[in-house]
Amino acid sequence: MGVAPSETHPVSLGRLCARGWSAHEAALWGNRLTQPLVNRNGKLESVSWVEALDLVAGRFKELIDAGKSVGVLGSARATNEENYLAGKLARAGFQTNNLDFSYRALCGPLMAGLEEVCGECTPSVSLNDIESSQTILLIEGDLAETHPRAASAVMAAVEKGAHLVTIIHTATQMSRLASLLLPAIRGNEGEVIDGLLAAVLRLGLEDQASVKVRCEGYHALLRDLETVKITAEMRQAAEWIARATRATFLIPPVSGEGPPSGREAAALATLAALTGHLGRPGSGLLPLLARNNVRGACEMGIVPDRLPGYQRLDDEPSRQRLQDLWGKKLPLASGMDAESLLQSASGVIVLADDPPAVLPGGQRAMAALGRVEFLVVLDAFLTATAQIAHVVLPMASFAETEGTITSMEGRVQRLHVATDPPGEARPGWQVLAELCARSDLGATYRSVSDVLSEVGQATPTYARVGQSENKWVGMRSAKDANGGKFRLFAAEAARVTPAEGSHVLVRDGDFDWGRDPLVAFSPTLSRDYQSERKLFPKGYIEMCKLDADGVGVHPGRPVKLTSVHGEAVVPTRVRTDLKPGVLLVPYAFRDHLANVLGKHSVTAVKVEQA
Amino acid sequence: MVFTIPREGTTKWLEKLLEAGEVIAPVRGPCGDVIFSALRSPSQVLWDFENPLHPPKQFVLPQTDPLIKIKRNGARHEVEPIYDDAPRTLFNVRSCDVAGISFLTQMHEAEPADASYLRRAHNLTIISLACPTPCPTGFCVCTDSGPFLSGGYDLQLTDLGGRFLVEVGSAKGEAAMAKAPDLFRKAAEDEVTQRKALEAAAKTRFGPETCHFGSAMRRISTGRVPDALWEKMADWCLECGGCNFVCPTCYCFSVKDLRRNGAWVRCRTWDSCQYAAFTLEASGHNPRAQRKERMKRRFFHKVSAQYYARDSAVGCVGCGRCVKTCLGSTHMPAVVAAIRKGKWHE
Repeated sequence: MGVAPSETHPVSLGRLCARGWSAHEAALWGNRLTQPLVNRNGKLESVSWVEALDLVAGRFKELIDAGKSVGVLGSARATNEENYLAGKLARAGFQTNNLDFSYRALCGPLMAGLEEVCGECTPSVSLNDIESSQTILLIEGDLAETHPRAASAVMAAVEKGAHLVTIIHTATQMSRLASLLLPAIRGNEGEVIDGLLAAVLRLGLEDQASVKVRCEGYHALLRDLETVKITAEMRQAAEWIARATRATFLIPPVSGEGPPSGREAAALATLAALTGHLGRPGSGLLPLLARNNVRGACEMGIVPDRLPGYQRLDDEPSRQRLQDLWGKKLPLASGMDAESLLQSASGVIVLADDPPAVLPGGQRAMAALGRVEFLVVLDAFLTATAQIAHVVLPMASFAETEGTITSMEGRVQRLHVATDPPGEARPGWQVLAELCARSDLGATYRSVSDVLSEVGQATPTYARVGQSENKWVGMRSAKDANGGKFRLFAAEAARVTPAEGSHVLVRDGDFDWGRDPLVAFSPTLSRDYQSERKLFPKGYIEMCKLDADGVGVHPGRPVKLTSVHGEAVVPTRVRTDLKPGVLLVPYAFRDHLANVLGKHSVTAVKVEQA
Repeated sequence: MVFTIPREGTTKWLEKLLEAGEVIAPVRGPCGDVIFSALRSPSQVLWDFENPLHPPKQFVLPQTDPLIKIKRNGARHEVEPIYDDAPRTLFNVRSCDVAGISFLTQMHEAEPADASYLRRAHNLTIISLACPTPCPTGFCVCTDSGPFLSGGYDLQLTDLGGRFLVEVGSAKGEAAMAKAPDLFRKAAEDEVTQRKALEAAAKTRFGPETCHFGSAMRRISTGRVPDALWEKMADWCLECGGCNFVCPTCYCFSVKDLRRNGAWVRCRTWDSCQYAAFTLEASGHNPRAQRKERMKRRFFHKVSAQYYARDSAVGCVGCGRCVKTCLGSTHMPAVVAAIRKGKWHE
């Protein structure tokens, strides 16, 4: 078994990243679930499918009848069809909008910010478009590591002479290829974006036609940015952005604490709109999401206040359409998000998600999961969540099932079956269809195409997906939610500024690849992550040499960090490329600093010798 | 000896070859790619095609290659080697890939010989199809591995229009012809002349990729590539490992145990010398922690005089696959040019 890239695939074009080249390994080496399991006296014992499904349906009915709250977690690594059925089960079957997926806790603010400006949060450029950009603005985490395919497109553009402008907090591979660096403290990227907005306005670089016809809030924006300081670099970057025929804006889910959340994203979208790059073919914004189907999960409505199609809960036509389609009245009240759901629901079905590995509060999620009265997990792998579930239903992995996923760039891609699922594992859509049937939702699906057809009825943008002749991608029609109008916003926020002589602790990154099953179970891909966890069982923070010397700590030795939230003692790693005053904790080690960070991603800390 | 076979005779010949075992040939895959795959019928074979991105090395050195089975028997463990003895024919492979398999076989024959690899290789008959038109990214003329071969194949076919010229390179090749002896006749002198003309013409049709290994070899073997150059180039590599995986001559591997039906199967799996963890030691120490060190190592192995002396070849067959699959821009021709010129992207 192995992987061979396809030159006819419109995204890969015969090129894969390391994760792609080892994608088959998790399916082979993963701790695969092969039989339905039920927890009896603390041990998972195998049972028949019928027994397991009846038990799940029966217990959920009991919980709902007893007036207890239940919910469903969908997944950024499940197919659209699986997510759609999970949503249907929650809304129509369990009559609740308690429906979410873990990674949304991180990407939610980004999507909200874009929606605020554009009226929708779909990307406006494709990965292939990036290659012909003249200017690329990147809020850099470590694109080469997190999104190698996007980094590849950026490299191709730079090779052709494009200006790459990076907003950075440490030196990275992409920053070394950049024409211009705009340093920012992590979490305060908004300051730089506001600087760019102010530079555009003061230099008169805005796209007049776009501002007049399509933008609202121009004068308020002028006012908001009156006092913003701009640097020579910001001026240069603003000129490159405004003068480019094609420009790309790449934005990762930068820390989204509020309120209001997603300000950086809104300001970046504003910059794109103001310079005429929104709505211009080949130009625009691309949110950088981790995992393969974040967008699909959102568009299937795995969001507590949205319906399929990412429509608002109170959008009457969408609601009516779903009620007619599913033959049930749907609940109106917003549901709980993933974190609250785990804290307070009595019955939870988790579809291919592992909240402790993904949520910012990993340990908190693990503790909450342990208190759930009835926990059901559908997954291909024995994750931490599956290990403590009351019922485990084994699913086919991505290599063993059919279905579609909607990529970061909004392309609906097809999965084909490469091999059979192990043991009694079944395709996820079949398991969810069985649960739907047991919840009195009459539809029968003969194949995954039947589910996709129903998705098309539920959300019209997917109506023609199945009709595509291309074996790799489906056709998805775009929508123009806001009539092409943009509302302009500044970020207006410097969240945390280190006071003289003190430090800020920043949670670095928004995803822990080392705990994604596809990486963790791949012998090739997991090596670095495992090694790091072995070497640093207590985690670490990164600090610059100057700070380490100031505190008087040797590399590898622990420091004591104290914030308003609490304290922790943690080993240090010294870097030469960090700004003084900034300490980073890798996302993978966030739980070791949970006391210090509280529920935040950036916080002021006092650093002392431990 | 040189023979010909009429075009329409190839169907019959392939039917005979299929009776004797698996025949791997370039076919059109379900999504439109050209791939090497086991034939179901002779009509699937492609005769006019661009070389598949994925090389046929997977049929001698699979991406996941089971080597031994380990079973518990009471208090003892039983170890049983797994051999793949199935007779196979590689049909219509290109010259560069034949050279690649020759390179791999030479490597695996060196002591200690690799029995698992060699069983597969010895049961493999290689029938190549010479290239009258080089691939767009190929540069096999720089590595003496195409577009036509003078050895390494069991049979080499050349398309002469209505018929194919068949050059015999080994007894295995003769045996493959003997499956359908009536289809072959001795080649006429003008047919051999025609083949020579095709080869000469092919050599004039190469694309823009070239690789001046000679001068790069001098520099890299004598430590005259500045560290700063490796550092600069390393920023243009995205560490995907694709260059290793599609390379017909790369054979680096890891060993991993796979649990199957109550036993353990020890597998050799493709690995990439460009991955940081490839040389990671149990202590956490990594002798090649930085990417520039890994790149330097890769190209030293591929291009240096030290290895050339051992292998009698550079570790490249000029197929140009790395040019296509590189996620960054540090493929063989680009790096060899940078080593030769002492500069990158300037």
